[in-house]
Amino acid sequence: MVMRQTLRAGVVTALCLGIVGALAGAAHADETCNSPYVTKLIKGQEDYVYVWALGVEGLGDGSDKLVTVDANPKSRRYGKVLNSVSVGSRGEAHHMGFTDDRRFLWAGGLADSKIHVFDIGTDPARPKLVQTIGDLVERTGYVGPHTYYALPGRMLVQALSNNRDKGGVTGMALYNNRGALIAAYPMPTDGGGDGYGYDLAVNPKKNVLLTSSFTGFNNYTRPLGELVNDAEAMKRFGNTMVVWDLKAMKARTVLSVPGAPLEIRWSLAPADNWAVAATALTSKIWLVKQDAAGQWQARDVATIGDPAKIPLPVDISITRDGKGLWVNTFMDGTTRYFDLSNPEAPRQTYQKVTGKQVNMISQSWDGKRVYITSSLLANWDKGGADNEQFLRGFTWDGKELTQVFEVDFNQEKLGRAHHMKLGSKSFRGAPTPR
Amino acid sequence: MIRRGGAPALVLLAWLACALPTAAHDAEPLPALDFEPPAPGTYTLHRIMAAPDGQVLGLDGRPQRLARFTRERITLLGFIYTTCVDPDGCPLAYRVFDTVRDAVAAVPALRDRVRLVTLSFDPARDTPAAMRRYAGSRLRGGDVPWLFLTTPSARELMPLVEGFGQDVRYEVDRSSGAVRRELAHVLKVFLVDRAGFVREIYSSTFLHPQTVLNDIETLVLEERAR
Repeated sequence: MVMRQTLRAGVVTALCLGIVGALAGAAHADETCNSPYVTKLIKGQEDYVYVWALGVEGLGDGSDKLVTVDANPKSRRYGKVLNSVSVGSRGEAHHMGFTDDRRFLWAGGLADSKIHVFDIGTDPARPKLVQTIGDLVERTGYVGPHTYYALPGRMLVQALSNNRDKGGVTGMALYNNRGALIAAYPMPTDGGGDGYGYDLAVNPKKNVLLTSSFTGFNNYTRPLGELVNDAEAMKRFGNTMVVWDLKAMKARTVLSVPGAPLEIRWSLAPADNWAVAATALTSKIWLVKQDAAGQWQARDVATIGDPAKIPLPVDISITRDGKGLWVNTFMDGTTRYFDLSNPEAPRQTYQKVTGKQVNMISQSWDGKRVYITSSLLANWDKGGADNEQFLRGFTWDGKELTQVFEVDFNQEKLGRAHHMKLGSKSFRGAPTPR
Repeated sequence: MIRRGGAPALVLLAWLACALPTAAHDAEPLPALDFEPPAPGTYTLHRIMAAPDGQVLGLDGRPQRLARFTRERITLLGFIYTTCVDPDGCPLAYRVFDTVRDAVAAVPALRDRVRLVTLSFDPARDTPAAMRRYAGSRLRGGDVPWLFLTTPSARELMPLVEGFGQDVRYEVDRSSGAVRRELAHVLKVFLVDRAGFVREIYSSTFLHPQTVLNDIETLVLEERAR
C-alpha cells in the first residue's frame, strides 16, 4: 500500500511537471509468443525471466510459486534467483500471461482452477501476489484455466476441462482486467467440433481467433505411464482447431487436426496471415492459412522426430520474422529448429538434447537468447534421476545453442519449472489499484 | 428506426467507402479493414465495467462531473495529450474520431444518440486554453457533440485513468546512454453506453472507424430491442 502511494505520488509529480512521452503503438511480443495486444516490447536485453513453478510436496514450502531469475549478462546476479513468491497452495501451476498493459501477470493452476494475479509493474524484480480469482468453476463450469490471452482491458482464458465429467469439453472465460467475469464461450460441439480446448491466439488483421485442443482433467492429472496404456482414455484427446470470428466471438470453421494440437503461433511478419501448431500425439507441424477462396484450412506440413517413438512435441516458439520455429520434444529432451522460410514445407536444420525432459521454450525478440524449462505436468514428468527440474539459458548464433546458465529448481527447492515470461526493470510503473 | 442490415448500416458503409481516403487529419488515409466485420446487431457487446466518474474541466474552465459526458448518449472516449506525436497513438485516435463523427452525423437516427469525448491526461500542459487550440475547427458546426476536457491537476486525473484502466506510467529510456524517466501510455479508446458502462475497448491494433460504427449501431439496436 505504501509502495503504491509512493509511486502514485511520483506519477502525480511527473504529470504536474508535464513530463509525458509517447509509447502507444502496434505490439507484438518480446519472447515472440504473447498476445499482439500486449504492449511494451523488450526488443533489447531482457532483465528477468519469470518462471511459474509447480509446488512439490516436501520441497520447500510445497506450494506453487512465481520465481524471478536474473537474465541480464551484465548483472552481478546473472543466472541467479532474485525472488520467489509462493501462493501458499499447490494447484498444478501451468501457464501465465501478461495483461495488455503489462502491469500484471495472470498465472493459473490446472488442478485447483485458481488464477493468481501478480503485480509486476510496481517492482518488476519482485512481483507481488495481489489477487486470486477463484470463481471460474462456479461461474462457468470450466475447469483447468490454461491460456491467458490479453485483449484490450480484458483477459481471455482458455480452459481444458469441465466440472460435470472432468472430460475435455470446455470453453473460454472472459474477465476484465480487475478480475470480474464478463462472459463465457463454450467450445463448439457441433459442425465437427469436439468441444476440447487448449491454446488460443489472435490475428487482429483478420479478426480471427484460433483455438486448439488437448484433453480433460481426468487425463492430465493421471500418471502418464498409466494413461498411455488405457486405450479408451487415449481416445479422449482433442483432434480439432477452431477458427472464430473474434469480434463476434462465434465459431466459424472447425478444422480437423488429429493428435492433440497444442501451442498456436501466428507469424509475426506483417505481411503474413498464417499460423502453425504442433500435435503432441502424432508429432506433426500443422499450417493454418487461408486458401485461394479465403477459406481457412489446416494442413500437416512437417514431421517432428520419429512419430513411432512418440517424442511428444510440447512447446514451440516462432522467430519474430516468421522464418524459424523452435520445437521442444519432452520424451527425448530434444530442442529442434525448423526453417520456416517456406511455411508450406518446414525443414529441420538443427537439434540438440537440452535436458532429460524439456517442455517450454521462449526466445528473446532478437532470437539470440533461448530459455528452456523442464516440467510438463506433475504426473507426467519423469521419475528418478530423469526428473531434472531447471531453467536453462542458452545463446543462439544461428548454428549452435550454447548453455550459459542453469537454475536447478530441485536444488533451490523451488519445484517444477514450467511456463516463462520475460521482464524488464524499465517497466516499473504505478499499477491500477485492485 | 434502425433495422439490422437496413438503411443506416448501408448509409454508414457507403459514407465510409467515400470518406475514408480523405477524412484523415493531416495524415495518411486510414487503411481499409482486411476482413468483413460482423454486421451490427449480430453480436453482443458485454458490459466490461462501469465508467468512472470524477471532476473535469471544460473549455470554459468550469469544473464539472465527467459522468455528465458519459451518460444519456453513447460515448466514444479517448485519453490524449496535445503534444503526442506517435502516429499509432493520439493522432490515430483523432483521425478515427473525425471519421466517426462525420459518419454518425450523416445518419439522422444516430446523430442525436452519440457524443465524442477527448480527455487529456497531461493537465500541467493541457489547460482549457490548450485544449481549445487542440480542438481547433472541430468546435465549430457538426451535429454530433465533441467535448474536449482536461482536469485541474493530476490529483483529479489519476482516479479517472485508473478507473478506466488507462495505462500511464514511467518508462526508463536508456537508448541515449543516460537513464531518462518519462511517462508513457498505451492508446485505448472506450465505447460507453447510455447507462455509463464500458462496452468496448479499442487499442491501436483494433481501432478502426468501421468497427466503431458497427459497435455504436449494435448498442442502438440493443436499446431499440428493450
